[in-house]
Amino acid sequence: MSNRNRNLNRIRGPHSALTDFLAANNISAGQIRDDYQRRLQQAQQREEQERIANGETATVKEEDEEMVEAEDEIVAESSTAARARGRRATDDAAAAKKKAQEEKAIAKIKKSKEFAKRKAAKKLGDDDDENDDYNDEDDDFLAREMYKKAKAMPGQLDNCEICNKRFTVTPYSKTGPDGGLLCTPCGKNITKDDKSAKKPQKKPAGRKRRKLESDKLDGLASRGPKTLQQLCIEKVVTHHDELDELGDLPQPVLERLSEIFTKKRVMNSQTLPLFLRPDLDAVIIHDAAYLETEDYQQIFAVIPHIENIVLKNACQFKDENISYIVEKANNLKHLKLYAANLVSEEGWIQLIKSRGAQLESLKLQWLDQPFSDIVVFQLSVFCKNLTRLKFKLCRSLTEVAINALAEMCQLEHLSLQATADISSPCLINLIKSIGPNLRTLSLEDFSFADDEVLNQIHESCTELRKLRFTNNDNCTDAAYATLFTNWPNPPLRFVDFNSTRDIDNSNPHGPADAVGLADKGLKALMAHSGAKLETVDLASCRHISKNALHDVFDGVKQYPELREVNLSFMQNVDQLAIVGIFKSSPALKKLIAFGCFNVEDVVVPAGIVLIGIPRAQDAIEQVGEGWVSVENALGAMVQAAA
Amino acid sequence: MATPLTEYVTLVSNDGFEFKVQRSSAILSGAIKRMLDPNNGFTEARTNRCVFENLNGVVLEKVCEYFYYNEKHKDAKDVPDMEIPPELCLELLMAADYLNV
Repeated sequence: MSNRNRNLNRIRGPHSALTDFLAANNISAGQIRDDYQRRLQQAQQREEQERIANGETATVKEEDEEMVEAEDEIVAESSTAARARGRRATDDAAAAKKKAQEEKAIAKIKKSKEFAKRKAAKKLGDDDDENDDYNDEDDDFLAREMYKKAKAMPGQLDNCEICNKRFTVTPYSKTGPDGGLLCTPCGKNITKDDKSAKKPQKKPAGRKRRKLESDKLDGLASRGPKTLQQLCIEKVVTHHDELDELGDLPQPVLERLSEIFTKKRVMNSQTLPLFLRPDLDAVIIHDAAYLETEDYQQIFAVIPHIENIVLKNACQFKDENISYIVEKANNLKHLKLYAANLVSEEGWIQLIKSRGAQLESLKLQWLDQPFSDIVVFQLSVFCKNLTRLKFKLCRSLTEVAINALAEMCQLEHLSLQATADISSPCLINLIKSIGPNLRTLSLEDFSFADDEVLNQIHESCTELRKLRFTNNDNCTDAAYATLFTNWPNPPLRFVDFNSTRDIDNSNPHGPADAVGLADKGLKALMAHSGAKLETVDLASCRHISKNALHDVFDGVKQYPELREVNLSFMQNVDQLAIVGIFKSSPALKKLIAFGCFNVEDVVVPAGIVLIGIPRAQDAIEQVGEGWVSVENALGAMVQAAA
Repeated sequence: MATPLTEYVTLVSNDGFEFKVQRSSAILSGAIKRMLDPNNGFTEARTNRCVFENLNGVVLEKVCEYFYYNEKHKDAKDVPDMEIPPELCLELLMAADYLNV
C-alpha cells in the first residue's frame, strides 16, 4: 500500500519500455531487488549464527583440553586457532550444498550449544520416568527435529522433498510428509489426497433440516428411522452411474427405484436399461423428459409382453413409437402417456384402431391440437373394454368429445379436467348415460356446471367410491346438501370439493344463500359418508362456518376411517375445530391447514402430522411426539390458553 | 407351547455365520416375526433359529446391524441414516424386500 502511495506521489521522468511493461504487470523492480537483498541478508545471518555456535563448541572443547594439557598453552592456542580456521572452511563448503548433505548438518547440530541445552531440558522433563534409556537414537531424533526447523524462507530457492526439483519457496508452499517443503505440483497432489481422506464431511445442519422437512411434506417417515429398503434405495440412486444392472428385483421395488431416479433427475438413456427386463410386464417412468425416441423403441424391444406403460412428460414420444406399439406390444392393457405432443392425429387414431380393443385403462394428460374430438370419437367406437379413462388438460377436447364419452357405458372410472367451456346439459347427458356404472367420478374445472349436474349425480350414480368436483362457483350449498341427502350411493371413501366457493371481490363473504360447499353441504356429506370416509379435501371452501365445523367435528361423532383432511385457506377454521378433528378421527394421519390464520399453539398428538400452521420461527409441519396422546394434547392446549 | 420365549434368537446365513440377536429387535422383520411366532408352528419357532438359504453372512450381518439401529432410534426424531457400503446395497435391498424391513 505504502509502496503504491509513494509511487503516486513521486514525480517521474522518462520511462523505458521495460519499466512500463513491468509497471503494467504490477512488477516492481525495486521490490525484487529489496527481496533479493533481504534473502541474502537472512541467509548470511543464519550462517553467522551457525558459525558462532560451532565456534563456541570449539572453545568449550578447548577448555577441556586446557585442563589436561595446561603446560603447552601457546602450542595449544595456535592449534585450536588452526582447527577453528579449518572448521570454518568446511562450514563454508557445507553451507554451499547444505540441503544435499543432511547427515552432516545433523552431526553439526548435535555438537551445537543449543542442542546441548535442549538435550538437558529434555532430560529434566523425562526425569520422572526411566531416563537411562536416553541414547543415540533420541539424540538423532532431537537433532533431526532441529534440522527440520531450518526451512527455507519465502522467496528462497529450495529442492522439493518429493520430486527433488528446484523451486521458489512461497508463503503458500506446502510441507511434505518428512517436514521439508514441496513444489507447487507436489503440494497440490498432497492436498488432494488430504481432501479425499477427509471426504465424509458432515453437511451443514440447515440443509439437513430442510431435507427432513421436505421428506415430511412428501409423507416419508415422519418419525423414527427409515426402513432398510428406503435406505438401500437411496444409496442405489446415489450410485446410479456405477450400476450395471439391478438384478432380479421385484416389480414394486423397481417402481420405487424408478420414482426416486425420476425425483433425482437421473432417469435418462444411460439408466433406463436398468429398468428393462424381458420378464417384467410394466415400465413406470414418472418423468421421461430425458428419454429420446430410441429409448422408447428400446422399451418395447426388450419387453415384448409389456402390459402396463407409464410415461409422463414423454416429450420425444413420436409416431414411430406408436407404430412400434402397434407392431409389438400385443399385451398392452394400461397406457398412461403425458405430454406426448409429437404424436399426430393419425398416430393416435392408428393406436386406437389397432390396440383400442385390448386397452383397459387409458390416461392422457397435457395433450395439444393433434389429440382432438375425432380421436375421442374413435376411442368410444374401438375401446370396448376400457374401464378407466382420464383426460386432463387436453386442450382441444370440446363438448363433442364429452358427448362421445357418453357412449362408453362400460367405464367405471372417469376423470376429466376441462380446458374448454363445457355446458351443464352436456355434462348431465354424460352422467345420465354412464353414471350408474361409475365408481370414480372426477370433474375438475367445470366452471359452467350448475346445480342440475349435482342433482344428476344424485339420481344416476349409485356405485361411487370417489367423487371429485372442484373449482366451481355456480353450484349452491343447497344443491350439495341435496346430493348427499337420501342418496342411495354407499358412503364415499374419497371426497374432494376444493375451491367450490363464490368469487366476488366486493362481497368476500358470499351471498346469503351460500354458493359452493358450505354448512348444509358439509353436514349432509359427513352424515352420508362419515362412516367410511378416508380422505376429504375442503381447501378454499371458505363459506363453511365455524359453527358447522364445530358441529361436524364435535369430538363425539366418530369418523373411524378418516386419515387425511385438507382444510387449507378456510378462514373459519380455529383451534377448536382442529382439536375436534383430532378427537373425532382416531385414524387421522395428516391434517393440512395452510392459510388458517385463526389457529395457533396446537399441540399435536402422536402419529399425526399437521402441515401448514405457522408457528413463529418454527417448522411448517408439526409432528406429534410419542408421549402425547389426544387427551394429553388437549390438556396441554387448555393449560396454554389459561 | 408353554415354554417361554427366549430373549435371543439365532439367525444363520447360507455360508454358516450365526448371529444371535434380541428377539425384540429381530421381529421388526415381518418375515422373521412370522417364522418365530409359536402360533404358526414352524420349526423356527421351536428351535429359535432361522436359517436363510438366500442371504450370505455379509448381508445378514448388515441386516442385524439394522435391527439394532432401528431399535436404538425407534422413537427418535431426525435419525441419522445408517451407513451402507455401496457395493452391498443391491443385495441388501433384495434382502430387505424379502425380510420385509
